[in-house]
Amino acid sequence: MKKKIVSLLLASVMAVSLLAGCGKTETPAPAEEAAPAEEAPAEEAPEAEAPAAEEEAASTDGAADYSGVELTFWSMWSAGEPQAVVIEEAAKAFSEKTGATINIEWKGRDINTIIQTALESGEKIDIFEDDYSRIAKIYKDFCYDLTDMAAAAGYDAQSFKCFNDVATNWAGFLPCVTEQPQVGGIFYNKDIFDDCGITTPPATWEEFLAACQTMVDKGYQPLALDSAYADFTFGYHLDRYLGEAAISELAMNGGWSENENVAKAAQDIIDFIAAGYLAEGAPEEYPSSQNKIGLTGKVAMIVCANYVCAEVNNNSGTEINWSMFNYPSVEGGADTSNSYAGANSLAISSYSENPQAAFDFLLFLTSGEFDQKMADSASQIPADPRNTAPAIMSGTVEALQATSNPLSWNMGLNDNSDLKASFKDLIIQLYEGKFATGEDFAAAMDALY
Amino acid sequence: MKKNKMLIICFILPCLITLLIMYLYPVGRTVLMSFFSIESVTAGMSDWSFNGFGNYAKIFNSPAFKTSMWNMLRIWLVGGVFTLSLALLFAVILTSGIRFKKFFRAAIYLPNVISAVALATMWIQYVFNNDYGMLNKMLKMVGLEGVKWLGTDMKFWAMLFAFIFGAVGYYMLIFISGIERIPADLYEAATIDGANKVQQFLKITMPLLKGITKTNVTFWSVHTTTFFLWSKMFSPVDTEATTIVPVVYLYDTVFGGKGVTTRDAGAGAAVGVVLALIIIVIYFIMNKLLKDDDLEF
Repeated sequence: MKKKIVSLLLASVMAVSLLAGCGKTETPAPAEEAAPAEEAPAEEAPEAEAPAAEEEAASTDGAADYSGVELTFWSMWSAGEPQAVVIEEAAKAFSEKTGATINIEWKGRDINTIIQTALESGEKIDIFEDDYSRIAKIYKDFCYDLTDMAAAAGYDAQSFKCFNDVATNWAGFLPCVTEQPQVGGIFYNKDIFDDCGITTPPATWEEFLAACQTMVDKGYQPLALDSAYADFTFGYHLDRYLGEAAISELAMNGGWSENENVAKAAQDIIDFIAAGYLAEGAPEEYPSSQNKIGLTGKVAMIVCANYVCAEVNNNSGTEINWSMFNYPSVEGGADTSNSYAGANSLAISSYSENPQAAFDFLLFLTSGEFDQKMADSASQIPADPRNTAPAIMSGTVEALQATSNPLSWNMGLNDNSDLKASFKDLIIQLYEGKFATGEDFAAAMDALY
Repeated sequence: MKKNKMLIICFILPCLITLLIMYLYPVGRTVLMSFFSIESVTAGMSDWSFNGFGNYAKIFNSPAFKTSMWNMLRIWLVGGVFTLSLALLFAVILTSGIRFKKFFRAAIYLPNVISAVALATMWIQYVFNNDYGMLNKMLKMVGLEGVKWLGTDMKFWAMLFAFIFGAVGYYMLIFISGIERIPADLYEAATIDGANKVQQFLKITMPLLKGITKTNVTFWSVHTTTFFLWSKMFSPVDTEATTIVPVVYLYDTVFGGKGVTTRDAGAGAAVGVVLALIIIVIYFIMNKLLKDDDLEF
């Protein structure tokens, strides 16, 4: 009998510990608080939710009073990263100013693999962070419509228009606030340009080739290239001939050989390599070639997004005198001015109970003092164009402001997700000098279908 | 007896429930999902639409999936032959009574203790690098030209070589445990009968390691089909055809890649089911080919 009782007790302990182990560590949100998204459509929610928060907003210094409000923020950064440090500071300052409590959970870059599940299950999340294209395309049903709050706060004046327009176009409403803008182009060591007497950045492919020749004559290596960015680099060149829509069409349906501009673009690259304008060893494995800009001081340029500057400086322990210019145009080309632009952005869940408080925090974080801090400490473009870009980001704000219709990553090549990896390999081979003519390259692209 | 049954049920029930919830449910759901069109991996069943074998047709017509399967086959076959051969060789050497056995065993197993991310970074940056990588430095020392180990021609093999380096120790330990189970008197009798070491290996060790070999081949198959991290490390930023494997294809299909926001959880589930079937088929083939119940020792 005694044995039986002990055994039953042991079994019970096992079962209880199992259930305890499966339980959540954080305080679970009551079911009625975490209403499913279907019950709180983004379009209807602002009117229903915002007034409650606004009623609370009454304090003497003009800042809203959010005492008792608790916001949960799922961040794409990891604790200790420069961005995370600034977010923590901003959250603390916002708490002191308004009385709101912001609980931040650092989810890291893989947030994109868990955020949808969390939103679908109505997890207590007020603010989340991810790439703006994913927010506006994938999670839009779980995003709060920020259009009215943004208009009331004059958000347009403190943000880059292109991101707001594109995100609104994708989602049908403004789903997010830009936190970390990015822009693509040719980033270069200004000291090398100065040494070569290149005072005006090249605007056309001919001017670019002339500049490369000047650099080679002076003993410099013009362009670094890591294979990881080969498709981005060639995508830019192809875009200048065809435009993104045509690239997307070719990527989806083939016919590369039938479009003479494809062969022309590839031939340009073949000639570029033959002229010796690629850095020694390029294309290399990321980040070897880009690091040479800092490590050797002899490599002048790279085609990438702005984060490459901080990466090179950090990896090589140098302070390159960075600047940027837009990818040059080609004669008779279709697209001459647009740049790649992307952003990590912040969204508010459609079922958040305190959207106004969350929105106020987002503006607090992405403008003024904390945006400037973020830009300075993480060496990134400020989200608020009225702030000053750090020296390392010289020229990026202007490039973003000049972009009305941002190019996507790889300029349409990625639209065929089944073949994008194969495109990439062929493009790396193009830079490896494996194709004798542009026509050969176009034929190889067609052979993939 | 009745009391005992009650006790058994009490002890087994928590594990059984856990198994059903944590294992069988996801497996069952994945198999079911593979027959439906589903965008998000956690979409409710009301959002599923029946697609028959459409997802399977889609993945088997996908060039990226076909490339990934071809890469996986090469990893399984070429990598398997090298890994298991080296593991067996080291296991035999280390059980032959050599000195510093413990040191060598630990040294060969060491890569399994180190994070695969650190290992891959070491190979990419310090061994295969064009300028300061160990291999090219050695080639240049003997007056040869450096090789682009991570160019499109060589990248797959460079990745496989690095992977084998990390995997050998694990299989070696399993072989060692099998060899140590073989009674020493069998070898003594064979030595008295005049059998040399090679004959002893072929006539005693190998036949008595059938069961262990079967286990190792099955583990290797599982290891190969779940190959992911090395592929990701050797194709930073975005997936490349030279290193793509089915799990990377699955990941990209379910979550979207860089600059890609289209997702297809149904097709991803179909990939998962195909991979599971491959492992099951290999397991049954190995069971047919290597019967280990005909020998007792």
